[in-house]
Amino acid sequence: MHSFDLSHEDDEDDDGDDDEGEQLAAPIKPKRVRSNEEEEEVVYHPVKLSRNDLYRPPTAEELNHLKEAESLFHCSLLKMQMEELLKEVTLSERRKQQIDSFVKTVTRLLETVPVSPEVEVSDLSWLSGAVKVPFLLVPKTTKGKFHMAPPASIDLIGSYPLGTCIKPNIKVDLAVTIPADVLRPKDVLNQKYPRKRALYLAGLAQHLKSSSDIGTMRYSCLHGNRLHPVLLLTPSGKDSSCFTVCVHVCPPPGFFKPSRFHPQRNNIRSEWYTGLQASHAEGSGPPTPHYNTSVLADLLPRAHFQFLSAIKSQCSAFCDGVALLKVWLHQRELDQGTGCFNGFLASMLMAYLLINHRISNSMTAYQLLRNSLNFLATTDLTVSGISLARDPDSTAPSLAEFHSAFQVVFVDPSGHLNMCAGMTACTYKQLQHEAVVSMKFWDDPTVDGFHCLLMTPKPMIRTSDHVFQLCDLVKLQACCKKQNLLHELMDRSGNYVETALPFVLSLLQKGLGQRIHLLIHSLSPDPEWSVESEAPKYKAQPPLSFGLLLNPELAASVLERGPPADNPKAAEFRQLWGSRSELRRFQDGAITEAVLWDGKSTYQKRLVPKQIITHLLQLHADIPESCVRFVGAMIDDIIAKGNEVPSTGEEESLVVVQSYDDLSRKLWNLEGLPLSITAVQGAHPALRYTQVFPPEPVKLDYSFFDREKTCRSLIPKEDKPCPHYITPITVICHMEGSGKWPHDRTAIRHIRAAFHISLAELLKKNYNYTCRPCPTHLDVWKDGLVFRIQVAYHREPQVLRESVTADGLLVVRDNEEAQALEMATIHKPLLTSTLHGLQQQHPCFGAVCRLAKRWLAAQLFSEAVSEDAADLLVASLFLQPAPFTPPSSPQVGFLRFLRLLSAFDWRNNPLVVNLNNQLTAAEYTEIKNDFMASRESLPVMFIATPKDKKLSMWTRRAPSVQMLQRVMMVAAESLKVLEQQLMDGSQIQDVRVIMRPPLDAYDVLIHLNRKQVPLLRHAVDPPAVSFSRGVLADAAAQLGGALPVIDYNPVSLYLTELREAFGDLALFFCDPYGGTVISVLWKPKAFEPVPFKTSQVAARSVKVTGEEVKTVPNVEAILEDFRVIGKGLVKSVEARTEKWIF
Amino acid sequence: MAPSNKKHATEKACVIPGGFTVLSLQFSSDSVAQHSLYVKEHKVRTEKSSYRPLDRTLFVLNVPPYCSESVVKDLFSRFGRITSVELRDHPGSSEDSGPKLSKIFRPVSKQGFKVGYIVFESPSSIGAAKSHPHDDPLVVSTEQRPVETGIQKWIHQYTKSFIHPDKLQLTVDSFMQDYDRRKEEEAERQRQEAEKQQEDEEGWVKVTRGHKGTKARPHSEAANQRTLQREGRKNKRKELMNFYTWQHRNTQKEHIAELRKKFEEDKQRIALMRAQRKFKPY
Repeated sequence: MHSFDLSHEDDEDDDGDDDEGEQLAAPIKPKRVRSNEEEEEVVYHPVKLSRNDLYRPPTAEELNHLKEAESLFHCSLLKMQMEELLKEVTLSERRKQQIDSFVKTVTRLLETVPVSPEVEVSDLSWLSGAVKVPFLLVPKTTKGKFHMAPPASIDLIGSYPLGTCIKPNIKVDLAVTIPADVLRPKDVLNQKYPRKRALYLAGLAQHLKSSSDIGTMRYSCLHGNRLHPVLLLTPSGKDSSCFTVCVHVCPPPGFFKPSRFHPQRNNIRSEWYTGLQASHAEGSGPPTPHYNTSVLADLLPRAHFQFLSAIKSQCSAFCDGVALLKVWLHQRELDQGTGCFNGFLASMLMAYLLINHRISNSMTAYQLLRNSLNFLATTDLTVSGISLARDPDSTAPSLAEFHSAFQVVFVDPSGHLNMCAGMTACTYKQLQHEAVVSMKFWDDPTVDGFHCLLMTPKPMIRTSDHVFQLCDLVKLQACCKKQNLLHELMDRSGNYVETALPFVLSLLQKGLGQRIHLLIHSLSPDPEWSVESEAPKYKAQPPLSFGLLLNPELAASVLERGPPADNPKAAEFRQLWGSRSELRRFQDGAITEAVLWDGKSTYQKRLVPKQIITHLLQLHADIPESCVRFVGAMIDDIIAKGNEVPSTGEEESLVVVQSYDDLSRKLWNLEGLPLSITAVQGAHPALRYTQVFPPEPVKLDYSFFDREKTCRSLIPKEDKPCPHYITPITVICHMEGSGKWPHDRTAIRHIRAAFHISLAELLKKNYNYTCRPCPTHLDVWKDGLVFRIQVAYHREPQVLRESVTADGLLVVRDNEEAQALEMATIHKPLLTSTLHGLQQQHPCFGAVCRLAKRWLAAQLFSEAVSEDAADLLVASLFLQPAPFTPPSSPQVGFLRFLRLLSAFDWRNNPLVVNLNNQLTAAEYTEIKNDFMASRESLPVMFIATPKDKKLSMWTRRAPSVQMLQRVMMVAAESLKVLEQQLMDGSQIQDVRVIMRPPLDAYDVLIHLNRKQVPLLRHAVDPPAVSFSRGVLADAAAQLGGALPVIDYNPVSLYLTELREAFGDLALFFCDPYGGTVISVLWKPKAFEPVPFKTSQVAARSVKVTGEEVKTVPNVEAILEDFRVIGKGLVKSVEARTEKWIF
Repeated sequence: MAPSNKKHATEKACVIPGGFTVLSLQFSSDSVAQHSLYVKEHKVRTEKSSYRPLDRTLFVLNVPPYCSESVVKDLFSRFGRITSVELRDHPGSSEDSGPKLSKIFRPVSKQGFKVGYIVFESPSSIGAAKSHPHDDPLVVSTEQRPVETGIQKWIHQYTKSFIHPDKLQLTVDSFMQDYDRRKEEEAERQRQEAEKQQEDEEGWVKVTRGHKGTKARPHSEAANQRTLQREGRKNKRKELMNFYTWQHRNTQKEHIAELRKKFEEDKQRIALMRAQRKFKPY
């Protein structure tokens, strides 16, 4: 086996079969140690194939296999992933047997329906009271005769016999044909046939009710169409929730003439519907296309089934392709509800593509899916419909006729039926948009296409930037009345929600115009109700939700500029906007119609779409504002500050950035420094708009402080509350490299101090800024803000790494100190400027970061996920949004942040944040391979950036495995709670609930004295009382004056001391933004008694048993120390567990 | 300091195996809990420094963070007069770290539990400390000698952190002067050594080992590595890669092996994902 003489293989030579076991077992151990809780989880190890396996001569079959995997798919992984996915969703043989046997039982039962005497249709006495008719009888009167009789035939139709049925929600369709003698050919008119069908269904339900084989029996209706009730049956016993048999009732094939259902014909007479005498002649009322379609659709299911079966037999991958497409649709919530793109349409679409040779019979499931999406992306069925009819008969309507009656057109093989009749143009646009986006990601080699297309759910709340709901659906009745939609209402048999929806959608589309890319709406789920109760009213539907995909440039504009006053379009504009429209004169001299919305701060401007929506709905649809529930910006409140003009920090950040820009200019212009400045860089979150609460300019009340005489500085008074916290904003100032710099670490430190002093002198002299030079930095008090300037010398990290060994060899060794310095002077400024750039591209980036970091801090994770890491996580949402589009509102960004935290597979994948788009596809692969090769030694949360491909420096220290586990768990739970609350207006509306961490898991709680918590006002639930903190309210920042108290925060000082003293024994958690409780968690390992060792006795007491000395933590003394160290700050120490007694 | 009436209760010192005496320490007289200090005479075989004379140095473990050197000095002066107190994060020999830095430039020390080396004036004090009874605790903060902690301490620290620019400048200047002087001395020495290596009148060169770091050619790890790499590249250039048939055949074999390996890797990854139920789409 060692016959191949390949030099670079030498290192792998020794891993033959015999020691393979050892190779595999070795890496497990360190992992186990690190994570006790998840031992059962599987870990990835790089494969080791033996040389025998790798170099054995290939067979032809294997070669084909490998070739296919290589050429057909991006990589063989994708192919295998698809196969695995299909295995997950297709039905097992066992399940199929269960279904078959249950269907047989039901069929047998249905065949024995007894014949009942003929009665008037309106006479329901033959039904026992226990079963109701699943129909809303509006209007009540119906003429005609009805009787029950055994069905003419019972057939399986739809996805199950076709083989395209997938999990979950397995639905087996059973078509029951009404015997011809129950119906009359004239029953098409005035809902007679639908009513008879409903009666027949009730009759079947009554018959089945006595059987013990049926588990539950409920009514529902097909895709929300109330004219078409169905009966849902589940088997009895434990399998009851596995699948549902759906009983459809249809007329005998060909019973009605298809030409009667031409979309231009009328089949519901107004005089019957309204009860009033109308002047129309017979058969020339307003067309009823939707009613016609619903009856016609009943005639054809068998024909469709045969058509699809024929197609399926031609193309072997048809079923798998349809299954994949259905999974794709399901993830996008497009496959269920009224007007959906259901599995049937998916099959028909694929059939269309096959017939038209868009796809060939020999393609694989993967190619079928790809081509279908490509077709959807490039075809607009709302303008150019498609037809499956080969040679339609002369009575079939033309495509143009279909288009005039329906918004979306896809004609079935018979040429008479539009299968997309119920779909709104918006839904199709959504479908098309999703297909376009998916195709884009599919072609992108840097995106895990499989995962984001087929595995990631896209609920509306996480997809759309803004979401709003119409709650009181009864109000839509008023809308129909106002817009005079009687004929449409008649056509939709009184379903005012469906009637008003297209109108509302077009109104909003017109009003929002360029502000949005896409308007989508939820598809009302099919109602289900018990056979014993009446059919639910339309108003019982859950609220209608609408989603907006904003255009970030225009969405927040407060001005809606219309046409000039003399333009004929002006009238239209005035009609649309009503009293809000007014003539305005603009700077360019034009006088045009315009609407001006309210909004001063970014936070308020984000709500302009809300103003538009409520205004338009009120004006044109009589829907009051109280019915519109706008959930687009509910979470923003968490970081909103300010009473008069509430703001989420954009304006404050801008002030800081402007002040910084000014300072940087002034630094550049300084003259008289021994070396010139080569770069001034910001290195603070506030300078990239991501500081949770940006620093605000303050004016000081001098009487509140003591004075430090020599340096003219203020210092806090002991008896007063802790003063206002002033954040120093870090600025790195690189000095020119020169031979004058010493080549010695301490000397460099001294030179830096000298630079701080001379910078301070110059700034004082030229601009009269109060400065405070220190060895490590220089604080500058400017515009009510404090900037902390640090002078940096680019060769210093190198100097720190160098050392001379005893025999005079100069060695370069990486060390903590050098890394920390590089982090502070190189990486942080770079990250800050890069993310600042990202903020310019995506205006809501900063707000998402602030929300994300506020959440992390509130949940006590700010130690686990550092600020920079959190910013990078958020940046990844904008740079790699797949399968979404980049978020355009803080809320949706925050929801996706939670989703990313909780759902990302941190163990097996690196998170690549492609800042500035610098990484190529090859580098992605390289990163991934490097990651896989050394997974065990890398940080648990691995974030790669273009400048940092191998180390993940931002997450090197934290989080630990346990902390990441907890972060993921809490994020998942927060996301669930938040989304439920946002989508359900009936719950208590308190989004802050996700910001309150559970404290019962902690061992000790240290309650703090509020007076000494400087950031108290930023707390999640700010207390009613507030303390004076030495800041004057009328903020006009002053120049010069005494230096304020900078960076003095007793809570963080206390935490530092606690961690330094007891970091080996316990973990300390605190919300840095106004948290008044420090939670302490003992480390279980530290509490095991250990033998007495001089290096391990800190805060421990001894226990002597014979000659053996063990030490355990001295908990009483430690608790006492908590009080002593935090004297004045600590209110009480509450020990909650007795865990230290083992 | 110790009340005499309590003296007779249990006057025994608590000595644990290993030779340490346990002294109890509490923050103030009304504290409810006590820390234990572990003391022992300092006894290290290799200790040569004069800072810690073997017979007069007491080794103390587990000194709480609020006990500064002066507090420790006060606490232990009941056993005899004290020459010096040294507190460190870890036990070990004292290292001598370059030129003496002014206080401002010294890195901040950790505020954790420390170990202490207390040097008494007379050796007898060690015995006194070691036989101190366990139930007579040392008290850190008393009326006469209050120890600042918490808010008080932080405000004090904040106030102390101010350095007048002139003073800072002075420190920097004096350090830099010192540094320049040392540099000059170093340069001078190097010059002298170079001179020594030159030929004398009779044409002889005196070969000496020289001081460390005085080699003329670049003597660093990076330079060594560069040389090695250059050698390696030279060797590689001489070799022909696609010359013989077996070399070509091997390339093909490699390709197949690569494909196989990737395939296997993918399969394994899938198996892993399946095990984690990663394919359930909803």
